[in-house]
Parts: sequence; C-alpha cells; structure tokens
Amino acid sequence: MNDFHIARTDHTPEVDFRFSEHCLTLAGEAYPEDAATFFQPVLSVLERYLGSVDDCDIEFNFQLVYFNSASTKMLYRLFGLLHDSACTSNRVVIRWHHDPEDDTVLEFGESVHDDFNALEFVPIATPLAAL
Amino acid sequence: MEEAPSVSPAHTSQDVLEMLSRHPHLAGLPVVENGRPAGLINRNLFMDEMAKPFRRDLFARKSCIAFMDKAPLIVPESLGVQELSFLALEQGGKTLKDGFIVTDDAGVYRGIGTGEALMRAVSHLQAEKNRQVMESINYAGIIQKSFLKASREALSETLRDHFLLWEPRDHVGGDCYLCRPFEDGVFMALMDCTGHGVPGAFMTLIMTAFLDHVLTASLRRDPAQVLSLVNRKVKTALGQQGGRLRQPDSSEQSDDGMDAALLWLERGGKKLVYAGARMPLFLLGAGEAEPVMLEGGRLGVGYVDTPMDCVWANQEVVVEAGMGIYLSTDGLTDQIGGPRQIAFGKKRFTAFLQAHREFPMMIQQARLKEAFQIYQGDQKRRDDVSVLGFRV
Repeated sequence: MNDFHIARTDHTPEVDFRFSEHCLTLAGEAYPEDAATFFQPVLSVLERYLGSVDDCDIEFNFQLVYFNSASTKMLYRLFGLLHDSACTSNRVVIRWHHDPEDDTVLEFGESVHDDFNALEFVPIATPLAAL
Repeated sequence: MEEAPSVSPAHTSQDVLEMLSRHPHLAGLPVVENGRPAGLINRNLFMDEMAKPFRRDLFARKSCIAFMDKAPLIVPESLGVQELSFLALEQGGKTLKDGFIVTDDAGVYRGIGTGEALMRAVSHLQAEKNRQVMESINYAGIIQKSFLKASREALSETLRDHFLLWEPRDHVGGDCYLCRPFEDGVFMALMDCTGHGVPGAFMTLIMTAFLDHVLTASLRRDPAQVLSLVNRKVKTALGQQGGRLRQPDSSEQSDDGMDAALLWLERGGKKLVYAGARMPLFLLGAGEAEPVMLEGGRLGVGYVDTPMDCVWANQEVVVEAGMGIYLSTDGLTDQIGGPRQIAFGKKRFTAFLQAHREFPMMIQQARLKEAFQIYQGDQKRRDDVSVLGFRV
C-alpha cells in the first residue's frame, strides 16, 4: 500500500502514514473548520491499511499540541480503528509525545489509554521544540 | 481597460519607436490588424532590442511585428475581474508586466489593460467582499449579544460577586450561557457548542432554545436530567440517530453538540448542584484550601456517539462561605502560548485562582484577561473563551 502524506497547515496537522514502515505519525495542530471533511480520508486510508496487514508491529506517533473538540472526536475514531486492529490482528504501540509541562495533551493521552486498552501506550515527555 | 494607441503590421519599428516616445506612459503597444489584435509590443523588450548594435539599421524600416509578443492575453471586455485575474496568473508574470488586450465580444480590438489596473480591481473586489462578510458577521454579533443580554442581567441581579468573561474568537461564537432565576434559587449554564464563528453561533441558538424549553420549574433542581432531555432533543432535531461511523456518502449528517456545565444554586447559597458534560467545575474554598475540580460526564450533549438515552450525574456541593465557584470552556485551558508554546492548561488556571483568591470577582476577571493575553502572546486565538466565576 502506498504511503500517505498530508502537509501541515495552520489549522490542520501533518499526516505522515508510512505504511511501508508500519510507522504512522500525526503532528502539529488540528482545528479545521470542518473536522469531518479533513479526517474522513485519513480514517479511510488507515482503515484500508489496517485491513491489509496481519501480525504486524505498528507504531503510531502522536505529536499534536492542539486539537479542538471536533477533531478530538475524529481522533477517538482513529484510535478506535487502531484498537480494533490491536484486538484482532496486530500489535499497536502509541508513542504519545507531549511537552513535560503540557498537562492538557497528557490528560487526553491518559483518557485514550483508558478507553483503548488494547493499545500499548508509551508517554514520551519531549519539549515541543525537539519535534 | 483604457483606450490606447495601436499600430498595424504595416507600421515599421521606426514608427513604433516614435509612438513609444510620444506616449511615455505606455508599457505595451498593441498591434492591430483589420480591427483584430495581432500581438503586443513590450516597451522595455523593444527598447532593449533596438539598443543593440545594428538592430536599428536592420529593423527600423521593417514591420514592427519582429519584436511583438504574438500570444499576449486577449480577453473580451465582458470578462469578470476574478476570471481575468486567474487567466493572467496562468500566463505567468508576463501579463502583469506587459498588460493585456481587450476586445469586444466579437473579438474586435478595444484597448489595453495594465497589470497595475488589474491588481487594483482585484484588491477593490476583495476589500468589498471582505467588507460585506464582516458587516454581516458584526451584525450577527449584535444579535448574539442581545440574545445573551437577558441572562447576563439575570446573573448580575442574582449574584452579588461574580464575573462573566465571554470572548468569541470571531465576533460571534459557539460559547454561550444561560441564567434563569427561580423563587428558591438560580439555574445557570455555560455551554460550548461545536464550531466557532457563524456555525458555532447557529448552534448556540439551537442549544439555548432547547435548554430554555426543557428547563421547567419541576426540573430546576435536577441539572443532570436537563442535560439528558436536551441531548434527546438535539439528537432528534439534528437527525443524529445513526451509527457510530459517519459514512462517506452521508456528509450531510450532523455530528454536532456541546460541552456544558449546568448549575442549580439554592437561595441562601448553601447548596449547589452541578451536572457537567465534558466541562468541569472548579471550587476554591476560603482561606488556604486547595482548589478542587469536579469532573463532569465524559460524553458531550448531542453528537452521533452519545446515546439517545445517555444519563449524566448530579454532584452536590456544600457551599462554604467565601467559596469561589468557576466554570470555563476549553478555549481558556487549551489555548497555545507561553514560552513552551503549549496549552494554558487546568493547572495554570487553578494556580491563577489560588493566587487571586482574595480579590473581588471583577478584579479576578481583569487579572485573568491580562494573564491570558500575556500567555497567548503572539499566538492566534484558537477558540472562543468563556469563564464564569462567582462567590455566594
């Protein structure tokens, strides 16, 4: 399956899905006017990828610093897809990058961890500038 | 468009030279044959060529078409400014430098247009469109403010020491509030509807109307039940009974709702009932007490993912004298800023409250605004921001 990339804008994150390396990254900020329209293609391509792999180690790098409520809902759907895959056919590690002082992003990570317990959750405290 | 002198292929380069020196403002000289444009001579290119050795001797008496651009942009005068600007851009920088030729609808030469004039027209068009949109949004802002005015006045009448910060990001927004006094207490709500700007403002009207309708005297002490009823109404009205995943072909389906905190404060101020949907309540007791945060339910009101029969919980608070009570939308805590360019965060907010606990609420508001502004720095505002604070 071809790798999938969307460049970052002011309102939308960089999507860097390297399916060939089983390494998926989401970085930047997410507050598009219409979150569903932005995320729908991302979810579709992820779903197709997850349907095409089996017994695989998948790494997901979460590097968002801001996401509005509508994007948060879309992120939940994304983690839902990863969770379903981790329950049935693959191993998924979520590397949760957050600034050491950013309790907002870490708190969201913890709720994702609680809700999708099939995902291995690795919080990584790194200053934003290093990303 | 401006009328401009033109030449025909029968004219020589010498004629062009004379024509250009008679009209020093002309950037380009159109070549017209039998009433139809044949090309455009760029002044600078032409002059450069003629300045080269022997060029004048070789070409002065020959047809001027030797140095003309044979494919300039030619447009009918009926073409709109926007279409014209896209055509000009497709041609690269040439049209902006040399100008373009204007014909009537039958293709007969009429005159030329310059890049500068085109830029001016585009800027005017842009400014006019902007003005129309801003005027419309500003007026929507007036409507939204007057819509909220009754609740703001009710807050002032019921709460002696309070503040309400309401800052929509784009003149209008998705944050709103409601305050309804009853004989034995007061019902308050802070709501953060999906979206900001105009779509957000639409949602506030829907949500406030539903809340207003649901909030009967018999339900005033039961904010959790009010959330459930509003949820049901929103989901029904917006047709959100579907499944979990939005299908690609159902892009018309709404997945909207709100985060909200509802409060019932008994007269006398001893008892407070709180029900929250993704919006916490902050309490700060008098003296040295640490701030306490009550978490609301984790599901929002409305939205496809929230079940039709979703229930939220009431949490009762025994209000001590001097206790500060605060609600905030996530626009405050999620705002990016500070030296690390990260979210403002709940910790910073509660630390602020602790540091300012002795001040009257109005002063706290002013200080919070100031601190928030400094934190935001030169970052853009990400969302609407609302904070309600009061002491009983």
